[in-house]
Amino acid sequence: MSKYGMVMDLDRCIGCNACVIACKVEHNTPMDIHFTKILEREIGTYPDASRQFLPVMCNHCDDAPCIDVCPTKATYARDKDGIVLIDWDKCIGCGGCILACPYDQRFPVADNRTVFPAHGTDYKSPVVERAPSGVTAKCDFCYHRIDAGKEPACVEACPTNARIFGEVKSEKMANIIGRKHAFTLLPDKGAKPSVYYVG
Amino acid sequence: MLDEPQDKDTKTADAWVPSVCMGCYNCCGIKIRRSGGKIADVIGDPAAPNSKGHICAKGKARFLDLHDPKRLLKPMRRGNPNKGVGVDPQWQEISWDEALTEIAGRLKKIRAEDPRKLVIAHFDIPAYGISKAFGTAFGTPNMHWNRADYCGAAPHVAHLLLNGSFNGEVDFEKCNYMILWGTQLGALAETIPLHTAEVMADARARGARTVVIDPFCSNAAAKANQWVPLRPGTDGMLALAMLNVVCNELGTYDVDFLKNKTNSPYLIQDDGHYKRDLATNKPMVWDVAAGQAKPFDAAGVGDVALDGEYLVDNTLVRPAFAVLKKHLLQYTPEDAERITTVPAATVRQVARDFVAAAQIGSTITIDGHVLPFRPAAIHFKRGSGAHKGGSHTTMAIHLLNLMVGNLDVPGGQRGVNPIGPFWEPTADEDGMLVPAQYITKYYKPYPPRTPKIPETLDLNELFPSSLFTRGMFAWAIREPEKFGITYQPEMLLHCRTNLMMNSHNPEAMGGVLKKIKFQVSFATFVDETTEFADIVLPDSHDYERWDLFPANDPYAFIAPGPGEWYWLMRQAAVNPPGEARPWTNVYLDLAERIGILDELYKVGNSSWNIAERHKLDPTKHHTVKDIAERQAKSLLGDDFDVNSLKDTACMITRKKTTREAYPRAFMNMRVPIYLEHLIDTGEKLKVVTDKLGLRWDFKPYTPLLTYFACHSHEHTKEDPFDLFIVNFKVPFITFSVTSENLWIDELSRANPYTHNVMINRATAERKGIRDGDRILIESAISKGEGFVKVTELIHPECLGIPSTLGHWARAYSISKHKGTGFNNFLPAPDVEHIDTLSGQTDSCTRVRVSVLSSKDH
Repeated sequence: MSKYGMVMDLDRCIGCNACVIACKVEHNTPMDIHFTKILEREIGTYPDASRQFLPVMCNHCDDAPCIDVCPTKATYARDKDGIVLIDWDKCIGCGGCILACPYDQRFPVADNRTVFPAHGTDYKSPVVERAPSGVTAKCDFCYHRIDAGKEPACVEACPTNARIFGEVKSEKMANIIGRKHAFTLLPDKGAKPSVYYVG
Repeated sequence: MLDEPQDKDTKTADAWVPSVCMGCYNCCGIKIRRSGGKIADVIGDPAAPNSKGHICAKGKARFLDLHDPKRLLKPMRRGNPNKGVGVDPQWQEISWDEALTEIAGRLKKIRAEDPRKLVIAHFDIPAYGISKAFGTAFGTPNMHWNRADYCGAAPHVAHLLLNGSFNGEVDFEKCNYMILWGTQLGALAETIPLHTAEVMADARARGARTVVIDPFCSNAAAKANQWVPLRPGTDGMLALAMLNVVCNELGTYDVDFLKNKTNSPYLIQDDGHYKRDLATNKPMVWDVAAGQAKPFDAAGVGDVALDGEYLVDNTLVRPAFAVLKKHLLQYTPEDAERITTVPAATVRQVARDFVAAAQIGSTITIDGHVLPFRPAAIHFKRGSGAHKGGSHTTMAIHLLNLMVGNLDVPGGQRGVNPIGPFWEPTADEDGMLVPAQYITKYYKPYPPRTPKIPETLDLNELFPSSLFTRGMFAWAIREPEKFGITYQPEMLLHCRTNLMMNSHNPEAMGGVLKKIKFQVSFATFVDETTEFADIVLPDSHDYERWDLFPANDPYAFIAPGPGEWYWLMRQAAVNPPGEARPWTNVYLDLAERIGILDELYKVGNSSWNIAERHKLDPTKHHTVKDIAERQAKSLLGDDFDVNSLKDTACMITRKKTTREAYPRAFMNMRVPIYLEHLIDTGEKLKVVTDKLGLRWDFKPYTPLLTYFACHSHEHTKEDPFDLFIVNFKVPFITFSVTSENLWIDELSRANPYTHNVMINRATAERKGIRDGDRILIESAISKGEGFVKVTELIHPECLGIPSTLGHWARAYSISKHKGTGFNNFLPAPDVEHIDTLSGQTDSCTRVRVSVLSSKDH
């Protein structure tokens, strides 16, 4: 089985949020739900201060706690590539996975209307199914794009190529992960994330 | 109507339509997804070198604007004769025919009386061609009132003088040490943003070091190795102190470059003028071997002197470089520390690191050419230039580049395409660089023009060494008699520039707009400036229109340095909704109605780079698309088919030559370290201002670069206005434009800074201000409010106000009253608040703050 992952090159990320909007457009998520975000923080004290940008999203973990806790087996890892997905026919929106996710990357969809709902705007004939109301949603690694031979929308948009996507064991990814001393977020949670950070 | 034929079949079939983005002014190549006849997505065009398949947040989000229910779909007439900030115009729908009949009637009357009474205001760069032809055919010089001067009335002049080009950049591929001075190049807030973001990230990965000089730790500063905060508006002092360190303390500069590519060896008399050869009138240099002065271009001039004092024709003279060096002694790092707050040790360290990184004397061989290699560069823009002393400041910064000889050579700072496939800079009789008109675009700052009593409302006649002076429109319209202007503007054609938000205090600007009897605005959304219109016409989104070709003017929008010449065509992806029409088409309609369409075409024939065989027939109708096709065929060849743009709208003609990529070594003209022409220019100008009885500031009309403090720096300890406001761009917002977008608004609300105002932690503690407090912000002329973000990321004497926010337009539903408007606090232009050399308006203003309510209560 192959396993897809992503590397976030923090030296390259400029905090421009192109990825956040690209994801938003791709998934047409309801207001204020973003499957990927750029977290910001300040470091140091003036004048020796700076700020850091940290792109975050579902880590598509090997040992995903969200899969373990799901009472309806709605959350699953796709056999062929390990992408963690949610079957919305099965999801009952109980929120157990939201609590279980160490990365705070699962979002309850209370109302799935998106842009200009009062005017019935349907800006997109969806390539990917929009999350219905009453379920949990999250980054799906743009599986529909991957299946079509494309990269995730956030990767395509990123002006600085700060996001690198591919099979974790591929030469391209293994090289970056090994050479640049990649780390994962909250390794002590034991979820074995597939999103790596360098820089 | 001179609209494109509406082709329902081709405009509704599902497709990716390649075109050009207008989310800012940069013209990135995009592909627009049309699905079910509607726009469903947009991506970067992988075939366009200025996007390479990437796209920014604003470019991606803005297709939502096509779906926004507040889109203006019909012409409207004002029902309320009263105009003012927040006044309801009481719109009433009218027909296009009624609207155009009235507008044409008024235009005819004005044209018969005095065509200068028409003013055209917009910041729609690809529409300049049409609007300029319309204005020229009509007979008005009052065109293109906008805030292009906001970014660079001063910095662009420095680039034109030293690079022979409108804009500047850095050789990211080879540069090892970059200083970004009041700019966020590489952080999606500047020119050719997708390209520079990528190549700058590559440079960081390669180990290039970056220093950012800025009162706020911007996104660009976040990626820098060193952030140097300074007191706003004191950039000139810092630059001059660094020049002093380079020239007098380190004594390390590129002697060959100074001698051969600058006016450093030109001999200067005591009166400040060049010592000219009595026979040829050429500036003279001191030939060291011959021991005599000779015209700079005389045959057989050997090594020339940069130092010393010589007697020529009984006149004591010194090389310009020696004069400058002595002049710089007054700018000590210690004084700089006192004025800028940058420690003297840091001033020396940055100057030293920059000079060391430049590797003066080294060469590199490219395609068989041995070229200077100077892998250090300084890039500067609005942050350093938008001040009272903006011209001198940006020239002083740029002189640091000049000192190491890095201009337009591998590794260094570079102008944006000073030489191109059909343009070349030249040298004047003094051997000085004169940029090509095609790449200057507006007025050439050199050679200076002859000053005279103004006839135009941008007052360019009073700024003979400027590029553009658009910030002056508001002043001239407010007080025309002051400048000897004998007419009052009566009609404004306005589109795509929100003067009420992007200039200065809105009450003052509102007063200016009210003075113009009849305002026609074209709008997709009715913004704050459109609220002053008498008739508003529904404009197309740029996804719904064609534009003249190329959309990406090479003076700023083709990446400089090695690479390819690429030319982008904007094409319509869908038809405009309702009765909306591209405003460029309406120009053609109006021209026909008032009988100047043939004249407009004739002007176009001489200014649109149309080959003889494709010239327009003034007796016929030509649509924008037709004209664009003729322009494209002229540039690309007759095989070009405008209907063939299916995969990409980016046409690559060829690879740049080494000469085009690294032009300096191939350029035989000199650039100034000493602005001799300003002496005479200032004297001539004084004759004019005396005639007008106008109080003017002649201090910048001096050949030696000097630090001029902003008006706001003249204050006493008792002055209650104790904080400078500083402004910075946010990578996902363009001007006042893209914030009215649901997705961008989500980003803004989630971002810790965008909708807030920033105060340094120590300052906040001293004032008893806490994070989240709502504060009152007062300047001498205005009041506003903001929510405080307490931060370590800002100079302690500053209040940071991001972007151009705080909309109040009645129709706005998303961004209304969010964020704080920086420009609201700025005074209207007057002699105290402008750079009288470039026309740059000063952004330095002081405010005081007080807590209105605390989050805890």
